[in-house]
Amino acid sequence: MKFEKKRASSKTEIPTSSMPDIIFMLLLFFMVTTTMREVELLVEFKLPDAEALEKIENKRLVSYIWVGKGGKIQINDSIVEVDDIQVIMYGKRQALPSVIVSLRVDVGARMGLVTDIQQELRKAYCLRINYSANIKI
Amino acid sequence: MLRKKRSLEANIPSSSMADIAFLLLIFFLVATVIDVDTGIGMTLPELSDVDPPPVSKDRMAAVLINENNDVLLDGKPISLFQIKSTLKPRIISKIELPKKKKLIVSLKTDRKTAYHAYISALDQIKMAFFEVRDEYSNSKFGMKYRDLSDEIKKQVKDAIPIIISLAEPEAVK
Repeated sequence: MKFEKKRASSKTEIPTSSMPDIIFMLLLFFMVTTTMREVELLVEFKLPDAEALEKIENKRLVSYIWVGKGGKIQINDSIVEVDDIQVIMYGKRQALPSVIVSLRVDVGARMGLVTDIQQELRKAYCLRINYSANIKI
Repeated sequence: MLRKKRSLEANIPSSSMADIAFLLLIFFLVATVIDVDTGIGMTLPELSDVDPPPVSKDRMAAVLINENNDVLLDGKPISLFQIKSTLKPRIISKIELPKKKKLIVSLKTDRKTAYHAYISALDQIKMAFFEVRDEYSNSKFGMKYRDLSDEIKKQVKDAIPIIISLAEPEAVK
């Protein structure tokens, strides 16, 4: 007896014309779902302009302190007082010893407040700081 | 007689569309830079009770900014944007001196000084140091500072160290 495999006579082909649509759909899905851990800003500020700028190479090391108009200070997601900075920043330093504190201070802020913050940072032993500024054109 | 030939069905090959989409996706993944942080880097001094050792007068360049954002450099009133040009010759004159005699720039503000004036002054001071570094490496090695190899960079850094002292502001009565 002869055995012969049965073959379908119709053509077998996966339709590939809709592949890009599927990929675009995936791309869009990921674009919509990814959130880039952005802190919600509670203070209003405008950064000063400067020329002698350095880039912070390692973004992981950066921790931000915002100082807005009217002298409000924000760390993480909440408004804090000057006295709280030491405790918070000390905790951050414990977790990440080479933390760089980026000070995003409003142009109109007074130096007294900035110095107070710096003193707190010194107490918390966070000595690497960076005055955030925009590139002067 | 003159009948148009019925054209064949024309279609664009779409199987490579997926690859094109992938290519685009990868290009944008690589090319996007998410908000690079730029700023003026500083290192704060450690907190200590011991008074810093006294420094000779000719090593110091004291920049004072008052609450009206007026600038005083070593007792002489100048404008904010003259700081760089005033400091540069002083930095250059100290390049050949030993490490313990390099210029120290002290920046002192008032508690009511505006932050932007402070940043502008700090910017000017840093620019003065950077420009002197660039000129020095250009004359000695024929290259800009940032194009130098790490080893030579260190040499230049030793010749022109950036020493900025942030003095605590005086309380305003």
